[in-house]
Order: sequence, then C-alpha cells, then structure tokens
Amino acid sequence: MIPYIAYLGISAFLFIIGLAIMMSRKNIVAILLGIEFILNAAALNFVTYSKYSAHNLDGHIFALFIIVIAAAEAAVGLAIVIRYFQLKETVHIDEASELRN
Amino acid sequence: MEYTITSIAPIFLFPFTAFVLNAFFGRKLPREGDWLSVGAIFMSFVWACRIFSDFIFGKFSTDYYVHKVFNWIDLSFGEQIFKIDLGIYIDNMTAIMLLMVTGAATLIHLFSTWYMKGDEGGYGRFFIYLSLFTSAMLGLVLADNLLLLFIFWEIMGFCSYSLIGYYNKKERAGYASIKAFMTTRVGDVFLLLGILAIWSVVGNVNYVDIYSAISQGLFEGKVVLGISLATFAAFCVFMGTIGKSAQFPLQVWLPDAMMGPTPCSALIHAATMVAAGVYLSLRMYPLMQLGDITHFIAYIGAITAFGAATIALVQTDLKAVLAFSTISQLGYMVIGIGVGSYNAAFMHLITHAVFKACLFLSAGSVIHAVHTQEMPQMGGLRKKLPITFMCMMLCTLAIAGIPFFSGFVSKDRILGDALYWGLFSGQSKVHFLVPFLGFAGAFLTAFYMFRMMFLTFFGTPRDQHVYDHCHKETFSFNRNLPLIILATFTLGIFFSGSLTGQGIAKVFPKGGQEWFKILVEAPQVKKFESYTKEGFGFSDTRAEKSWEKAHYHHQSGYAGINPENEEGIHHAHVEGAIASIIIAFSGVFLAFLLYIRRTISPDKFVNPLRCWYEALRRKYYFDELYIDIFIKKVLLKFNEFLAFVDMGIYDRFAIDGWEKVNRVLFKASKWFDDVVVDSIAVDGTGTSINIFNLILRIVQSGKIQLYFFILLFVLAGYVWTLDIA
Amino acid sequence: MFIWVLFLISALLILGTSVAALVTKNIMHSCIYLLGTLLGISGLYITLNADFVAVTQIMVYVGGIVILMLFAVMLTGGKEFVSKGQQLLGLAPLMGSKSTYVFGLFGALVFGGIFAKLISYIVKLPIDSTEQKIQSTVESIGKLLITDHVLAFELSSVLLLGALVGSAIIARPRRES
Repeated sequence: MIPYIAYLGISAFLFIIGLAIMMSRKNIVAILLGIEFILNAAALNFVTYSKYSAHNLDGHIFALFIIVIAAAEAAVGLAIVIRYFQLKETVHIDEASELRN
Repeated sequence: MEYTITSIAPIFLFPFTAFVLNAFFGRKLPREGDWLSVGAIFMSFVWACRIFSDFIFGKFSTDYYVHKVFNWIDLSFGEQIFKIDLGIYIDNMTAIMLLMVTGAATLIHLFSTWYMKGDEGGYGRFFIYLSLFTSAMLGLVLADNLLLLFIFWEIMGFCSYSLIGYYNKKERAGYASIKAFMTTRVGDVFLLLGILAIWSVVGNVNYVDIYSAISQGLFEGKVVLGISLATFAAFCVFMGTIGKSAQFPLQVWLPDAMMGPTPCSALIHAATMVAAGVYLSLRMYPLMQLGDITHFIAYIGAITAFGAATIALVQTDLKAVLAFSTISQLGYMVIGIGVGSYNAAFMHLITHAVFKACLFLSAGSVIHAVHTQEMPQMGGLRKKLPITFMCMMLCTLAIAGIPFFSGFVSKDRILGDALYWGLFSGQSKVHFLVPFLGFAGAFLTAFYMFRMMFLTFFGTPRDQHVYDHCHKETFSFNRNLPLIILATFTLGIFFSGSLTGQGIAKVFPKGGQEWFKILVEAPQVKKFESYTKEGFGFSDTRAEKSWEKAHYHHQSGYAGINPENEEGIHHAHVEGAIASIIIAFSGVFLAFLLYIRRTISPDKFVNPLRCWYEALRRKYYFDELYIDIFIKKVLLKFNEFLAFVDMGIYDRFAIDGWEKVNRVLFKASKWFDDVVVDSIAVDGTGTSINIFNLILRIVQSGKIQLYFFILLFVLAGYVWTLDIA
Repeated sequence: MFIWVLFLISALLILGTSVAALVTKNIMHSCIYLLGTLLGISGLYITLNADFVAVTQIMVYVGGIVILMLFAVMLTGGKEFVSKGQQLLGLAPLMGSKSTYVFGLFGALVFGGIFAKLISYIVKLPIDSTEQKIQSTVESIGKLLITDHVLAFELSSVLLLGALVGSAIIARPRRES
C-alpha cells in the first residue's frame, strides 16, 4: 500500500514547479504551460483523496471536469495568444499592456 | 340593455375616437375623415335611441335612474377619506338630452359636409373640433357628478374657442374667440368655486350625494362670507349657467361667436353648448331652491329674454338676429327655472334646440347661396330657395309661438307658470314684472323673427346682383335632408298631446298623452334621504311604470308652486295661452304691416326714438361698457396698481433686499467654500490620494508575474496563521 | 508489487521532467517535458485505481492540449525572452533573467514550507487506508455523470462548444483596416 503522503508530495511539487514556471517565464505560452502543471496537481489531489479518504468516485468526476476545463482554457488561451501574436508580432507578457492606459 | 359603464361609454367614445383618429390621421383619410365623424355620431345616435326607448317606452317608473360609478382617485389614509368617483347618471332627462344632442349633432354633421365643402385647409380641422365638441357634450350629459361635468364643460369651452376662431385668417374671428373664451371663463371660475363650496359640505360632488345632503339638511347653518353657504353655492353654480348660457350680464360673447361657421353656430350656440348651462341649473335645481335664489334667477331670465329680444329688433345681420333670439330663448328657460317650471324649462330646452338648429342651418343654406349675411341685400329669395324657405318658415312659426308648433307649447307653459308665479302664488305683486317682460319678449320675438323672414325671403330683391348670383336650390341629400327632418320635429304634436301643452284642447280625445310633462320631474330630494354611500354602483327605484301616478298636477314635486293651487295654475294657463296667441299673432301682424304691406314705415318708430335705436344697434353699449369702462378704467387701473405693487414695493424691498442679504450670505459662503471646502476638504482629499498613489503604484505595475508573487506571499501568510497544527 | 514499481517509475518521471520543464530555456523542450509529466501523472492515476481518469488524461492532455501547445509555440516562434532591463523600483529582481529563477525558487521554497506545514497536519489525520479491490470504474463514473452530476456534465458540453466557437472566432485572421 503506497502511503498517500507520497501522492500529496508529488502534487505539491508539481504545484510549486507550475508556479515557478508562471513566475519566471516571459513567454505567454510558457505561462499557460505552467497553469497546466497546477491544474494537474489539483486533479491528482482529488483522485488521491477519492481513494484514501472518501471511498467514492466523486473525486474522479472532479478530475474529469478539471481536464475538460483545462482543455477549454487551453483552447481559448492559445487562441488569444495567436491573435495577440498576429497583432503585436511578439508574445512577451509585459508587452500586453494595452488596457493600462 | 344592461346598464353598466362599459355599455354606456360607447355613446361618448364613438365621437371621441373619431376625434382622436381624425386628429392624427385625418389628413391621410379620404375626404379628410368627415365620414368618420358623421358615422361616429350616428352610432352614438343609435345608442341614444336604445337608451331613449328603454327609458321612455320601457317599464321603468318616472323616477327610475341608473347610477354607476367607478373609483378614479383614492387618496384615503386611515380616517381621512378622499375619494373621487366618476360615473354615469341616467334618468329620463338624460335619455331625452342624449337623443336631442346626438340627433341634432348627426344632422348638423351631415349638413356640415355640404356647407364646409371646398373650404381650403380647414375641412378636416372643422370635423375634428366638431367630434370633440359632441363627445364632450355627451360626456357632460352622462356625467354623474359636477367635477366630471366641469371637465367636459371646459373641453366644450375650448372647442367653442376653436370653432369660433375657425376662420383663422380673419382678425375679428380671432378676437371673437378670445372674447367668448374669456367671458365664459368668468362664469367657469364661479362654477368651480360653487363646486368647491358643495364639496366642502357634501364631501363629494355627485348629484345623488348632493340631493342626499340637501334632504338630510347638511347645508343648514353653514355660512360663508356672511351669507348662507347654500346661497353662495347656488349663486356660483348659477353664475356658471350665466356664463355658458349667455345670460345677462355675460351675454356679450354669443353675438360675436357668430363669426364661426354657421353649422358650428347651430351646434354650439343653439342646440348643445348653451343648453349645457341650463342643463346644469336643472340638475342643481334643488340647490337653487335651498339657496333661495329662484327670484334672482327669474329676474335674470326675464331681463335677458326681453333685452335680447329688443336688440334683435334692429339687427340687419341674419345670424345676429338668430344669435339674439338664442339669448332671448335661453332667457325663457332661465325664467322657467326661476319660477319653478322645471319641466317646461327642460321642454323649452329641447324644442328650442330643434328649431334653433334648423334655423341656423337654414341661415347657413341662405348665406352659402348668396355669400352675404346682410338682410338688406337679400329679399325675394323665396323663389330661389324653396326648400330652405319652407323649413325656415316652420321653425319661425315655432319660435314665434304660433299654435300647433313646439315653441308655442313650451314657451306658453313657461309663461303660464310665470304668470301664476307673478300673480297668483301669494307673493308680492311686484313680481308681475317677470311674466310681463316675458310676454313683451314673446311679442318682440314674433315680430323680429317675421321681420327677418320677410326681409330675407319676401318682397322684391333689393340687391339684384346678389339675387342673380344666387343659384336655384335643388334638393341635395346633405343640404336639405337635415333641414327637413329638423323642421318636421318643430311640430307640437311630437311634444304634447294637446294644443297648449297643458292638457287643454287635447288633440287626442283620450287623456294621458302629455308624455313629456309626465316623464321629467324635478329631483325629489326626499327620495334620496335614506340614501347611503354603501349603495355605490347600484340602481334603485326599479318599479313598474305607472302613468297615472305620475300625472303632472298630482306630483308633490311640482316645484316652487304649491300643489293646492292647481286650479290657479289652470286659470293662469288659460289666460296665459290666450295672451300668448294674441301676442304672437299681433307681432306677426305688425311685421306684416311694416315689411310686406309697408303701410307703416319703420322710420316712424326709429326717428322719434333715435337714441334708443342707437342703443339697440350698439347692443345697449355692453361691449363699450365692458371694454371702455370696466376693462380700461377699472382693470387697467388695477393693473397699474398691481404693477406698482410689483415693481415699487415687491421688487424694490423684497427682492432687492433679499439680494443684499444674499450678497452677505454669499460672501460668507464663498469664504467657507474656498477655505474649508476647497482647500482642506477637496484638495486635502486629492493630496492624500496622491500620497497613497505613490505607495500603491509600486505594486500596481501591470506586470502579471509580480501579482503572482504577491499572491504567493499573501497565501503563505494566510496559511501560516492558520491554527491547524 | 506492480503497483509499487509503477508508482516509483511514474514519480521519478514526474520529478525529473517537471524540473527539466522549469529549467530548460527552450520552450519547445518545455512542452516535451510537460508531456512526460502528464504521462507520469496518468501512471499515478493507475496506481490510484483510477483507470478511466488515467486514460482520459492521456487522451485529452497528451493527445490534445500538448499538441495544441506545440502548435502555438510553432506559430508564435517559440522564442524565450531575455530581460529588457525593466526593473520594479530597483527592488524586484529582473524578470526573465537568471535572477528570476532564484526569485522563483525562493517563492517556491516559501510555498514548500507552507506545504510542509499543511502536510504535517494532514499526516496526523486518521485516514482509513485499507486496501481496495481493484476494479474498473468506467461503469460507475458513467452512471454518476448522468445521474448526480448531470447538470455539470451538460454545462461542460456547453462550455466546450463555447470555447470551440470562441477560440475559432478569436484566432480568425482579420485584415487590418
């Protein structure tokens, strides 16, 4: 029996890696990539608790919905990135400051 | 027919809808929408016929009435009750009025389609006002309370203004419309005062409540301005009648109102609007009695009836003669109210409406044919306008009081009652003046009406050009049919079963055909004594009609005249009838001598009485009196005084002084504004915001990754403080 | 035993590829490392007796999202940016330079401390960790999706449709006027 703390540790590690990617990268695509890490960490937590604590399948359902939402988010987010690239010829995050003034 | 507000409302709504549609879409409709107006008023006529047949030939008793209300405004708060209910009140009088108004209006609408044809730019406008006017009159007749009546009263005032000033290119028409509006306004103000006075006592203004309040004695002991409130209210309400029905001393507007097109004169100034004033007085008759102003009313009526008749003697304008005869005849109605001859006054209202409408329409027919209103330019038109002549002759016979015609029946009943009132009712013989003036007026009426007929239709043409210009009349549907129908109804047989209208010399051998006399009676306030407000929306006294019960002389409500003196009334009426006949024929004969045989020249009368002649020509100088004396001397002086008060006192002291106070206040307030508000509060707020801004803009950089970083630390701090271990 | 082996392989895969995804300069490589991480997570799902989720993970993430990202990277040039010298009042580190990694790792350590606290709490909680019999979850998840979670299920279909149409509209090339 694998101790569930191992799963939680992997999940936390993934979350921190995702956060680090989001903070350190300047490419918008990379930031979206970091978000994928974070979402996966959350989904992994759900499934873990589903097995060890709740003993039902609601966690699985949540994981599935997280995957669905991640797919939608990725589609829209990348569409925005591509559009933005068409307009500005760059995907630097700090260049996206049109709404500032 | 079930009597509810919704089943009665169409009689008002048909013409009103026609008004709205014509006002907005009239120009787009074929023939400028006149068929809409005519059709709408005809539909109202059909409705009125149904009501008439229900009430007159139905099973209801004479005093049956329908009173339905709905709540319009309810501002009641706790114990304070302030409710205004609107509704309909229909009894026999309403039914007859509705039939008269819709019938006359239908024929006048029809005639207007001929008379106004080809009028540049105003044909549709004329019918718009005509429809609004008719609907207002119908609403006034249907109204169950004085407030609603007042609303329609004012709408009619406006329509009258618009129609008198219809020929808006003529300056005189504009002045005439203003004069009519402002003069009737004097009466309207009094009427509003009267309504408020009644409200202060009754708490409501519908007829039934007022009758109930009178019978319960609510008016007793109330005093306003040193006179009893009932007298004050009655006087104010009667002032409304004086204004609207052109009684002395507010009669000056009606002759000038003849500037309008002739069909509108027929509708407004003969058949309906001036009748509204008399109708109001009839409805408020118990109040007049309570206020004890019947003598005043009788004298006003007598002065008007006689004075207007004398003025009519010397007028040369065809329509002016008719205008003064209208005033004179309205005076007879008012005499009837004053002497307690309620039924006869109402009967005269109806008969007069019919024959005066016909007279005006005939005059319109003549004027349209010869393009002039001056009688000295006419003459001999009998051959050119045969149908018009016949109709006008019938009506003239009626108004002159020739037996077998409606005017004789109604006028004779008023004069008979007045004679009884003046001579036999046990009061001072001084009051004989009223019937005397009445009979004198009747004589003059016969004279001037036939003078008008003789000058217009008989003799040789005085102006050959005008005569030649006049086309020979051929029968046309919308020109002659209204005349013929109206002229038919001038026959007395439609109003009374007997020669005199008093049951004397009956046409039919069996009694009981005096239907008009039986059907309408003065409101019996006793009947409403037990009336309670819980009964709103009901209709009562539904009983089988009994003709015997309601026989004229046996009614206790033969108002103003003691029922014990029936014989006296008979007596007075026989004398009155004989006197009327003699007077009428002598008047006609005098006119015949003067204008047909020319055995006596009119100059014989004019020359020795030159100053009187001038006075009559100038209408007793009433216009000059009002304009030169009253308006210029009194009102303008008052105006100057008010201007002095306004400029010299109010402006200088109140306004300028207030300005000085304000300047000081302004300086204080400016200091406060500059130093406290601006420098400290406003600028201080701005500065503090700037300072915070300097701090906050460090983190508000727009760099999303910095936000993540801050978010991280906030989250960390939050979790660290959680007491979970 | 198989479970243990699978868990160890997956965990090592995740740790290695995720750190690589963080430190690599090439965004394309980052995407490939993400692929490895996702595969590892799906392996963990299998050890957690979540076969359906594991398969979905592979199909959607590996087959869909990563491919989408690769396309996005290729369409946008895949450049990683170096600092342009933008400083935040001289306090914040330069973004996009090497110091940002130090900065990000510092943040990560802070967060790791938080997690350590949380986990130290969680470990103390009594959790029933008896072994469950391995069985397929597909049928149960199907039933749950059309009974208890049917509203969320339907809404997610609408969401997907909206995302599909929306992204198509957003990314549609437009002529500059």
